[in-house]
Amino acid sequence: MNNYTLIIMTDDKQVVLERILQVTRYRGFLIDGITASVNNTNNIATIELLVSSDRPITLLIDQINKLVDIKSVKVDNNATQLSNA
Amino acid sequence: MTDSKPLTGGGLLFNVVEQHGVNHVFGYPGGAIMPIYDALYDSNVQHFLCRHEQGAAFSAVGYARASGKIGVCMATSGPGATNLITGLADALADSIPLIAITGQVPTAAMGSDAFQETDIFGLSLACTKHSFQVNHVDELEKVLHQAFEIALEGRQGPVLVDIPKDVQMAAVEQNFKSAAPLKNKVKLPLADISKALDLLTNAKQPILYVGGGVGMANAIEEVRAFARETGIPSVSTLKGLGALDATDENYLGMLGMHGTRAANLAVHDCDLLIAVGARFDDRVTGKLDQFAPDAKVIHFDIDTAEINKRREADAPILGDLKENLPLLTMSLNITEWQANIQKMKADCAWRYDHPGDSIFAPAVLKEVSDLMPKNTCVTTDVGQHQMWAAQHMVFDEPSNFLTSGSMGTMGFGLPAAIGAQISRPHDTVITVSGDGSIMMNIQELATIKRYQIPVKVLLIDNAKLGMVRQWQDLFFEGRLSETDLADNPDFCMLARSFDIKAKQITQKSEVTDAINEMLDHDGPYFLQVKIDAKDNVWPLVPPNSANNEMMESA
Ligand SMILES: Cc1ncc(C[n+]2csc(CCOP(=O)(O)OP(=O)(O)O)c2C)c(N)n1
Ligand SMILES: [Mg+2]
Repeated sequence: MNNYTLIIMTDDKQVVLERILQVTRYRGFLIDGITASVNNTNNIATIELLVSSDRPITLLIDQINKLVDIKSVKVDNNATQLSNA
Repeated sequence: MTDSKPLTGGGLLFNVVEQHGVNHVFGYPGGAIMPIYDALYDSNVQHFLCRHEQGAAFSAVGYARASGKIGVCMATSGPGATNLITGLADALADSIPLIAITGQVPTAAMGSDAFQETDIFGLSLACTKHSFQVNHVDELEKVLHQAFEIALEGRQGPVLVDIPKDVQMAAVEQNFKSAAPLKNKVKLPLADISKALDLLTNAKQPILYVGGGVGMANAIEEVRAFARETGIPSVSTLKGLGALDATDENYLGMLGMHGTRAANLAVHDCDLLIAVGARFDDRVTGKLDQFAPDAKVIHFDIDTAEINKRREADAPILGDLKENLPLLTMSLNITEWQANIQKMKADCAWRYDHPGDSIFAPAVLKEVSDLMPKNTCVTTDVGQHQMWAAQHMVFDEPSNFLTSGSMGTMGFGLPAAIGAQISRPHDTVITVSGDGSIMMNIQELATIKRYQIPVKVLLIDNAKLGMVRQWQDLFFEGRLSETDLADNPDFCMLARSFDIKAKQITQKSEVTDAINEMLDHDGPYFLQVKIDAKDNVWPLVPPNSANNEMMESA
């Protein structure tokens, strides 16, 4: 199992979190933690998602990126290294 | 529409539908969608009342696949909406542009377990490309335009719009006008053309592997030019059938579980695999780590997520096939490989000799294919008859062969044929069905009757769930659990009760006349072809085997 931290920027839509969780589970990643916050001036939400899986993280990044309301998805390398250590 | 009646959310829906060039919708009314059906009464859009919401969804899928337009289906809340789900899942899996409109209970009642309330928005997450719930009429116009754009943009797919009853009834404030186009995320193409050119010029045994993406990208000309000019031997997936020129001497037909022996052996031996709008589906690859084991891969796709999903690409080429394929179109010197391929093709040619008087389905389908008019659209259901149609019929375009590929949904064929016929009223439409599958949406014979839709039903009747029976015989020690359908209804009598002309044949000697009678008949026609229940689909790549380990007989 590898651990990853994803930083996801999205439009602030009620259903976005549900979509991300559904895709994450379906594509074979376990959710180890989640924090989410909204910037009220630009209505962009930032979601930090801690996941683990044997599958390559690019698989999940590509699938989350396909969701319509997603602005960007990045692996937080610092956080990932920490949790691996 | 009369001036005295203000535009409502429901009326706005049909204005937007028309604005996107769609004049036909498929649906079924009910309480929570009544304001939309009331607006339909004044609309120019023609509605087809199907007899089950799944029929409406598959008719919309057939309409879209046969015409390249968007298919639109509508259902009421609760059970109406849930009945659409199989069609949505099918459209998602086969990347079909579809809009599903569902009525919802009024906003004030939502979340209260109201009568016929179901969380279709929540249910849609796993079976649509995107979905919307419209909580205020002011959002409706923008959402509807977005729905059409999302369905068509990039890799196509189904979009659901759930509209509460009060939003359907609410007066639309501003006058109807087109909304600003949606700004899509701009993604840079990940094209590795120079690497691909390098692989291509150094390959000695390349194969072109073509999928459903080619038809959907409107890149049939480009892929044929590529095949012609490079001379690269080619194979097709189930959904790619029709994209390549089937008369090309280097075309080997379908690959995969029920592919031709030549296609599977050639792919197994190739040193370069050029995947075009195809995604290495498990029914194509067989045992994945033994699929084209010595090949480098060039992968053309529109969907980033397909690159490296099941097979690492040495040169991924992301983006529009129409633009990217010409960049690699050049002449190559692979005559030795072509000679091998053509010999393999000749050695593995289909044979239609079959002992006895009982009808041989592959020969029937080949004959229908030879006799049917140009531009005939064929739909299928799922099972042995589907694989025989894919193997033995020839199509000029993917939009002439509609089959449920990824989902393999029994019940697809009849309603898809209805939708196809409505979108192409001047072309012949045939559905090749099975005696199990036809019963899954048999109620759509009533839709055929009501609108006098001249669909031809070719029923391959083995009185079995034949494909499952074949697997039970081959892989489950002949333990025939729940696959016998000897008590099927009298299909001809059933068809006649919907005023559809029907005929049953049982002997080889009757085949040619029956096919001609069916094709010459002006209206709908039902031809029941009784075949031997023991006939199997060959070749077959057994589960967990490599594609070069095909079985040719039991
Ligand atoms: C909705 C659905 N349920 C079950 C299946 C599993 N299945 C695949 S083929 C098949 C048998 C189909 O029988 P029939 O339509 O008579 O076709 P045949 O194989 O006999 O030609 C079944 C049950 C399916 N594909 N779709
Ligand atoms: Mg059958």
